[in-house]
Amino acid sequence: MTNRTKLRDLLIDIFLLEPSEFRFDLERKEVKTWDSLGIVSMAVGIQETFRYHMTPEEAVAIKGIQGIIQLLESKGFSFNE
Amino acid sequence: MKILYENEVNSDMSKLDQAWKNDETFAFISNRSGCPEDWVRTALSNLPLEFNKDHFVLFTSGSTGRPKLVVGKKERAEHLAKVLHEIQDSHSVNQTVLLLPLTYSYAFVNQWLWAKLHNRKIIYSGGFSKPDLVKKYLEEAADCLLCLVGAMLPLLKSNFGEHICFPGVTRLHFAGGMFPQESLPLIEKIFPNALIFNNYGCAEAMPRLTIRKAGETNIAHNIGRPIPGVNLKIGDEGEILFQSIYRASCYYDHTGLHIPSDDDWIPTGDFGEQIENGYWLIRGRKSEVFKRYGEKISFYQLLETVKVYWTHDAVFYRENDSSGEPGHVLLLSPNADEDQVRNILREFRKNYARALWPLRIESVENIPLLPNGKIDNIRFSSIPKTIHWMQRI
Repeated sequence: MTNRTKLRDLLIDIFLLEPSEFRFDLERKEVKTWDSLGIVSMAVGIQETFRYHMTPEEAVAIKGIQGIIQLLESKGFSFNE
Repeated sequence: MKILYENEVNSDMSKLDQAWKNDETFAFISNRSGCPEDWVRTALSNLPLEFNKDHFVLFTSGSTGRPKLVVGKKERAEHLAKVLHEIQDSHSVNQTVLLLPLTYSYAFVNQWLWAKLHNRKIIYSGGFSKPDLVKKYLEEAADCLLCLVGAMLPLLKSNFGEHICFPGVTRLHFAGGMFPQESLPLIEKIFPNALIFNNYGCAEAMPRLTIRKAGETNIAHNIGRPIPGVNLKIGDEGEILFQSIYRASCYYDHTGLHIPSDDDWIPTGDFGEQIENGYWLIRGRKSEVFKRYGEKISFYQLLETVKVYWTHDAVFYRENDSSGEPGHVLLLSPNADEDQVRNILREFRKNYARALWPLRIESVENIPLLPNGKIDNIRFSSIPKTIHWMQRI
């Protein structure tokens, strides 16, 4: 499974998105379920899936799915699959 | 004070008859109540002398799981059994089959005391530990009254199948939790000649407060109207309070001894409201309504959401999340498939903030239950569960 697919499946599960709603350019403000508890869930989910432990500051600063990708790419993960 | 244990009475009902006839107050306790013997003795020794005659004592775990001793006056309980006989139109009923433990105030008043006062036959079945005997008695029943709790329906189905029919049961009572309204067609199929009642009350009411016929509404948490002699009102925090001429004379719990007066309004432990035509609705157990990250959670309300897509058994149990905040887990039975779980999750997303979503959704083939319909925590902890979804907090 590619990192893009892993991330997509994870975020659909965490934010209870319909597959048809998902886009890699989704912003946090577009996702009602990306609330404060959603941020915690996302950080835990990233840790489980990618073994990268986000700091609270990193998790709060993310403004959209591209932000997650950029953060993970900066840690060596590739999303150009 | 004389203590009668349930197993003594099950093998010889005359012991209970004799205890009722004697002036001396007696305590009637289940052998499997979980009440430590020392607690029972201490509780009984704390009762004022005025309760040493003409009363009876039952024990309950209550909604909190903590033991509670409840003292009823024999005269009041007899009055209640006679009132129930009239308003539940039991004149044509000749017998009652006992499936519930007789130490439950529900079975004690609705069945044993009713049968005693109206000279009806009472048949001890042994409950679902002896399903063959239950089936035999119910098949042989004629003009029979039966008392169940909703949690017994799965036991009826699993032991006898959905095509069983007991036409001799003509009065069927439910109590001890929300009425299984969604199963009414099945209930009517199994008991085609039964007039079906939802009974609502609590141990301190000894036990009855309201009644409704099953078919009067299709809202499960509609508890009907107060019976004659009972008044209800809503307290400042939204809890249903009652006054009743049948109420317990006193009760003893972990907070001490309580002796209510006729003017006192006694808490039921349920949130609710009065609706049109004198009917009352339950909005949740006080112990099952709690705040999570500032959001008020009611299991009753959440279950209504679950039932949009899940018509089988569903319960919530409480568990703290990783930051120590109280939360809840949804348990489904039988095992659910992923589409069903997705549908339930969609409803949560649509209707509630994330704080109100369950921490996990799990399923098991059968939820292990105690005879009173509560989860059997000892067996529950050891059975395999499928985790379908989790919040990761």
